[in-house]
Amino acid sequence: MPATSKERYQWGALIAALTLLLVLSKLEVLALHAFPEALSKGFTFAEWVNAVEDWLREHYRWLTRGISEGLAVALKAAERFLLGLPWVVVTLGIALLALRFGGLRLALFSVVAVLFWGVVDMWKPAMETLGLIGISVFISVVIGVLVGVACSQSNLMWSIVRPVLDTMQTMPTFVYLIPAIFFFGIGDPPAVAATVIYALPPAVRLTNLGIRQVSVETVEAARAFGSTTVQTLLKVQLPLAMPSIMMGVNQTVMMGLGMVVIATFIGAGGLGYEVWGALRRIKVGWALEGGLCIVFMAILFDRLGYAISQAREGRAASRFRLLPERWEHQPLARGVEHAIGVVYALCAALSRGLTLVVASAAERVARLVAGDDGARGLRELVTRHAFLLTSLVLLVALVVIDRYLLSFGAFPEAWEYSMRKPVDRALNELKVNEGFYAFTTFIRAAVFLWILDPLADLLAWLPWWYFTGIVALVAWISAGRTVALVSIACLLFIGAVDLWSVSMFTLATILASVLICMLIGLPIGILAACSDWVESIVRPILDAMQTLPPFVYLVPVLMFFGGNVVSAVIATVIYAVPPLIRLTNLGIREVSAQSIEAASSFGSTFMQTMTKVKLPLALPSIMMGVNQAVIFAVAMTVITPLIGGAGLGQEVFTALSVIDTGKGFEAGLAIVFIAVVLDRITQAWSRRRQQALGLES
Amino acid sequence: MNCSTLIRRLGLATAALALSLFAGSGVADSKGLIKFHEADWTGNLINGKIVEILLTEHLDYEVEYVFLPAGPAAWEAIVAGDIDVAFEFWPTYSPERHQYIAEYGGDGSVEYFGETGLVGKSGWYVPRYMLEGDESRGIEATAPDLESWEQLNKYKDLFATPETAPKGRLLACPIPAWQAGDELRVEKLGLDFHPVVLGTEVAQFAELEAAYTRGEPLLVYMWEPHWTHALYDLVKLRLPEYTDECFDAEAGWVQPCDWPDELPYNFGSATLKDRHPDVHTVVRSFSIDNEQQTAMVYEVDVNERDVEEVVREWMAANEDVWRAWLPM
Repeated sequence: MPATSKERYQWGALIAALTLLLVLSKLEVLALHAFPEALSKGFTFAEWVNAVEDWLREHYRWLTRGISEGLAVALKAAERFLLGLPWVVVTLGIALLALRFGGLRLALFSVVAVLFWGVVDMWKPAMETLGLIGISVFISVVIGVLVGVACSQSNLMWSIVRPVLDTMQTMPTFVYLIPAIFFFGIGDPPAVAATVIYALPPAVRLTNLGIRQVSVETVEAARAFGSTTVQTLLKVQLPLAMPSIMMGVNQTVMMGLGMVVIATFIGAGGLGYEVWGALRRIKVGWALEGGLCIVFMAILFDRLGYAISQAREGRAASRFRLLPERWEHQPLARGVEHAIGVVYALCAALSRGLTLVVASAAERVARLVAGDDGARGLRELVTRHAFLLTSLVLLVALVVIDRYLLSFGAFPEAWEYSMRKPVDRALNELKVNEGFYAFTTFIRAAVFLWILDPLADLLAWLPWWYFTGIVALVAWISAGRTVALVSIACLLFIGAVDLWSVSMFTLATILASVLICMLIGLPIGILAACSDWVESIVRPILDAMQTLPPFVYLVPVLMFFGGNVVSAVIATVIYAVPPLIRLTNLGIREVSAQSIEAASSFGSTFMQTMTKVKLPLALPSIMMGVNQAVIFAVAMTVITPLIGGAGLGQEVFTALSVIDTGKGFEAGLAIVFIAVVLDRITQAWSRRRQQALGLES
Repeated sequence: MNCSTLIRRLGLATAALALSLFAGSGVADSKGLIKFHEADWTGNLINGKIVEILLTEHLDYEVEYVFLPAGPAAWEAIVAGDIDVAFEFWPTYSPERHQYIAEYGGDGSVEYFGETGLVGKSGWYVPRYMLEGDESRGIEATAPDLESWEQLNKYKDLFATPETAPKGRLLACPIPAWQAGDELRVEKLGLDFHPVVLGTEVAQFAELEAAYTRGEPLLVYMWEPHWTHALYDLVKLRLPEYTDECFDAEAGWVQPCDWPDELPYNFGSATLKDRHPDVHTVVRSFSIDNEQQTAMVYEVDVNERDVEEVVREWMAANEDVWRAWLPM
């Protein structure tokens, strides 16, 4: 269908819809407001889920409890090991790892990050979290790679696994905390189980992707040399897919860290417990300390993981180890770098010497047991891993010194610094400040009266079938028949499980949040795109906002805006606005220089270039930003009930507090379905703009 | 033997060495490990700490805390053996509680250890400065004759917020699962108020704190004993007196009455009695009253002192009280 006639057809549909709406409001006759009871009566979804759960509990709980016992032993061991190590050894161990793969800068950063845990007196919880995340990630990666490999070998398998992964990622985590309690008990083991479920998908996806991306020619070549399927997989495909798999591991770690606070709800200890405990008592400083510990851990693992995954390809040799390269012409900087170079050379010489000694000793011992060949092999192996060997010797020596000679003791108290009091004091002053109070009150009233309340009223006022029709129509026009049918099914489910009005309120909250995100995010994104200076300020703020667990800023939002639905919207905006700003900025910056050049040569002013050329061309990217904001806002609905948010998130919470899996699943699925409908429609918009602009075939 | 087997063996030997190096920090000899439920309110922590000190220092046990924000999940955890003792469970008004007691208590998989000694009181509260004013803060009395639900409609405009106008706002019980029945009361008493459910206690306290520090009117569902009463001077409004007709164990609230006293209880593993009779004796005889607990909670939550320090202070002053709980 040609574009113009399709456009006309859409407008016609829209006008028809609006007329129908008008007629409806006049004639109350047709207002079948309530969802037909016959439908919701027969569809007792919660009971079915609970029946399945009861059956599983009765027959398979021995299995999950067994796994849980095993996990508990492993966790205890990991925790005891980490807490048994002197803090010096942990710090040095992580720093050496960073030095090996990421160089001096990363090593210094890792020392700062690790010492931060000690400085704010959170060494123990940090080690607990480290153990928990370590084991969860290990399990996720093992399962993820196995499933990923299986998926890469069979299209059928992948088509079955993919929707399961989608659901795992969009299903609010609180929902499967309930069955985790039933099957794995409480404490750290169910936390591991829940974290694995949440963190598994990227490992599967990226393994599958990595293997599938290995070129057909390479595989053919391997086959031609007579490799079996297994040989091809192990010797060719997996090694070539390694960068992609490492990327998956990295994302798995990140997702795992995202679960740290949520896992507290089923009894996991560690940093999440600190954040939650602080939130419970409305202590911002405390929550911030815990949150920053998590942020540092996340950044550390992210950079470290990235460095390790890049290590195979070899780092670009940089002449400067510590200072930025552009200081190359400063004599002072050169001097410092030179000194560092000397230290490096010295350490390397020492390390080589030590390795030589160990290698010859090992060779001599090995000759007695394994003969000449084995001995030479061993010697080579040892010499090749000089760095690893020296590090191990150093670490073990430190452990031995700590245990038998002189103890390093706990983290020195003199180094501890608590930021709780100053932060709390500052916020308390702000709280009673008249001007600031007037400001927050204004925002609260404005958001509620002008945005949230009208939206909620409108959605509550629309009859269910009418709303479903509108959504289906929009979906059909923008994304085609399949999406329209899916949308109808999703909305019918929501009606049938008797969550219609609650869902409409949730939708109103989401839409209000996204609207505000656009009001704030678009101008900032445009500004950042226009000026490098603005971008350099905005970027680190966005980074911090995205790594900070949302729980941390729930507390200040709560203090300033009170506990109510508006606070929920504000917290959602803080969480959902970064991707929108990023993608707006990116989209505008990526507009090709030719287009801009062409526009200016036709004499357009700055504003004209912006509104007529840059923004329209950046629209697909901005739309993707809106899409991301929508998804983030949906994810936040489960967390905002903690500060007064209402709707489906609160249903999930209530289900968790009375441990009703069925009710939790109903509300959780309703959230998933809302996410699916909004995601498909907004993505389709972005894609259509792209096609219209000829940016994508 | 080739090179790789040798390396594997060497690796194993190193691992074994490392393990033996670190496994040294083993568990000291004790009569056993008792697992306490750690909930997220301070009263529960204080009770636990008192009993923990008794068990570890007088009976030679080890105590481990299992953290779980409150809720019926604790029942499940006790049955599964993840928790031995849970302190200070608030009964709430939810019919589910009866279902749980019937299901788990009835089949003997959970033992009811007895009341905590605390007496819980729920109600609708307003700040005292609304009635009497507060000269030191320059607040005038805005509702001098407000003392029961009958005057609420007269003052509804004071309580109105943008979200509830023209009705007044009642900060209802924040936890829907407790089924405190605010809505039924508002409706049946004909109050022109909108009950707002905030979802968590935190949100409720934040609203309370914000309103109180600014001297604003506020009508809020609260309960005692609770640390907020030590910080904020709140007055409980009178509601129609509670009778047995008001509440039905199956259906929940039927009539708009005041809330009856709640008696928080301790419960735990049904096998504790056989496994560790001395522990069982201690937890069964443990008892603490509102006044004692509130004083300790105040020290912890308001003066930000360490739980253990506060508890030890109390124990030093009340030795005759806890001595009696120990087995002969």
